Amino acid sequence: MAATLFRSTLASCAFAPPLSVAVFFVVVTAVASLLWGAGPVSAADALPVLFGQGSEEARFVVTELRLPRLVTGIVTGLSLAIAGALLQALTRNPLAEPGLLGVSGGSAFAVAVAILLGASSATMTTLVSQTGALAGCSLVMLATRSRGLAADPVRLVLAGATVTGLLLSLTSVLMLADQRAADEIRFWITGSIAGTPLSHLRAVLPSLVVAGILVVIVASPLAALSLGERTAMGLGHRPGRIRVLVIVAVALLVGAATALAGPLVFVGLVVPYIARAAAGPDIRKTLWLCLPIGPALLLLADTLARVIAAPSELPLGVITALIGAPVLLIIVRSGRMPTL
Amino acid sequence: MKTFAMTRQRNLYANLALTLALVIAATASLALGTVAIPPGAIIDVLAGGGDTIHQFVIRELRLPRVLAGVLTGAAFALAGCMMQTIARNRLATPGIIGIDNAATAFAVASVVGAGLSIAPSAMALSGAAAATALAFGLAGANGTRGYRFIIAGLGIGAIAGAITQVMLSRVAIDAANAAFPWTVGSLNARSQDAVQILAIGLVIGYGLAIALGPALKTLQFSDPVAINLGTRLKRIRTLSLACAVLLTGLAVSVAGPVGMVALLAPELARALSRPGKVPLTASALAGAAFMVTADLAGRLVLSPLELPVGLVTAIAGSPYLIWILVKPSSRSLS
Repeated sequence: MAATLFRSTLASCAFAPPLSVAVFFVVVTAVASLLWGAGPVSAADALPVLFGQGSEEARFVVTELRLPRLVTGIVTGLSLAIAGALLQALTRNPLAEPGLLGVSGGSAFAVAVAILLGASSATMTTLVSQTGALAGCSLVMLATRSRGLAADPVRLVLAGATVTGLLLSLTSVLMLADQRAADEIRFWITGSIAGTPLSHLRAVLPSLVVAGILVVIVASPLAALSLGERTAMGLGHRPGRIRVLVIVAVALLVGAATALAGPLVFVGLVVPYIARAAAGPDIRKTLWLCLPIGPALLLLADTLARVIAAPSELPLGVITALIGAPVLLIIVRSGRMPTL
Repeated sequence: MKTFAMTRQRNLYANLALTLALVIAATASLALGTVAIPPGAIIDVLAGGGDTIHQFVIRELRLPRVLAGVLTGAAFALAGCMMQTIARNRLATPGIIGIDNAATAFAVASVVGAGLSIAPSAMALSGAAAATALAFGLAGANGTRGYRFIIAGLGIGAIAGAITQVMLSRVAIDAANAAFPWTVGSLNARSQDAVQILAIGLVIGYGLAIALGPALKTLQFSDPVAINLGTRLKRIRTLSLACAVLLTGLAVSVAGPVGMVALLAPELARALSRPGKVPLTASALAGAAFMVTADLAGRLVLSPLELPVGLVTAIAGSPYLIWILVKPSSRSLS
């Protein structure tokens, strides 16, 4: 199945240029994120390290601090971008974004509970985060299904925003309960990929593999679903089953990303928006393009977060919000709301 | 004629019941706490007598707090009711579309002293006005109607929230703690000046809302119907929005963002009042009662630790909110 998917997407040559441009951008941002940082190690110091030379200090900073951060950034950006693209295809709504729809909120709330209860193991946190994401996603989906909100982009987003606001207040309640946990939660909730230990990355890997398999399974049915539920059924797909698989995949991806980096809003909105603009409406092409664009955007945001206010750092979540909110406004202003 | 009279009476009874609830909540709020004061003694103190401890506790501590609660609750609820009506969506409260967030961002800016020396309340009001103007401008021709305004507000709210986070993460821990009440909503941090300004603003806002009442009622129908009924849509929407911004900005300047009141109090008022009317007075009363009760609960439940009122309302409101979202059928304003 994966092979067919691969062939069918590469067959369309109109799609190759944007993909190679996107891959080029990942490489550029990855190198940039290795070279620039908030600390005293400058780009000139860091450059020799890439060729196996450089001072002891520079080598330590680049390989022990910036490299893990780069990997975390790639994994997080990729997960959020794919999750956003899936959710938007499923709801046929360009504004459906994990951060806006309560998925990240649910995940953040669950992790805050876990931190409060004294959880520290990486595997635990990932699992808790994914369960929370699943709960948040299911709640909003249930609301949209039962009320026919999916047809109306704004109502869907309002429902999601309300759930997110609610979960954030409940997280604040938890922060009042315990000062030590509050400090930990406050740092984590603004979103950051700094200092994530490699053990966390290893903990999320299995679920990402499962999510990847799910994405491969649902990609073609989702493309059929975009023609309407009836058409998809006529083509032999079962919309109910696709929906469940997509929601599970989104929960796995967003849960993993949130466990790694905290709740990051708007990455799942911006990346699929750019990908769709470049690749057209086919969800399979969009997903392929999201693979490089997601990491590129996240690494760019992270490098900016480090450089703008050096020698201290801005929270990554703030940068993604500042990049993403204007895109939201652009989507809204683009004449009629594009429906998927 | 009889049904008309009955429905008029229904509104009257609804308002009376809500007033009674407010009086009970306010009395309980004056009586209960670390020092319990019997209702008789409260009347003595309010009449100018009573013993000195009771006088101090009521006059200096509890009465200002109850007053602040009544005013902010009424202001939030009135603003929420107007926003819900003009957006024809019961989830479209000032909090969701970013007015709260922007007001908070500006207030936090003045608390943590980002080179500004203006009082937090003035800053909160200008934040609310700026966010709304921006959302209006970005929404373009559609004005307050339709999705553009709401989504633009969401985006602006997200930016304001992010800016608040930046400010809180970049200042010393003491300043961040001083600004914390502004981020969750608490009656503890109120300033007396802000309460006075809010009282004046509430009188103006309430008067404007009542004057707009009949026109708002026609907004419940579709636009062509409202226009045929002689409603000047654009003017009514602009005025209502200005009124909601004024009330929300002033209320945030006293108590921080307590968005849930704006969502729930109008719901309660709508359930009690005559169908088809925009329950402005009932919303204000319900909001005041809700706020005072929530604040009282926040003081008592984990005493001596105090739970901020914004969190109490969020916890109390969440089951209802989830129910609104999940339940299959919906009423006209959904």
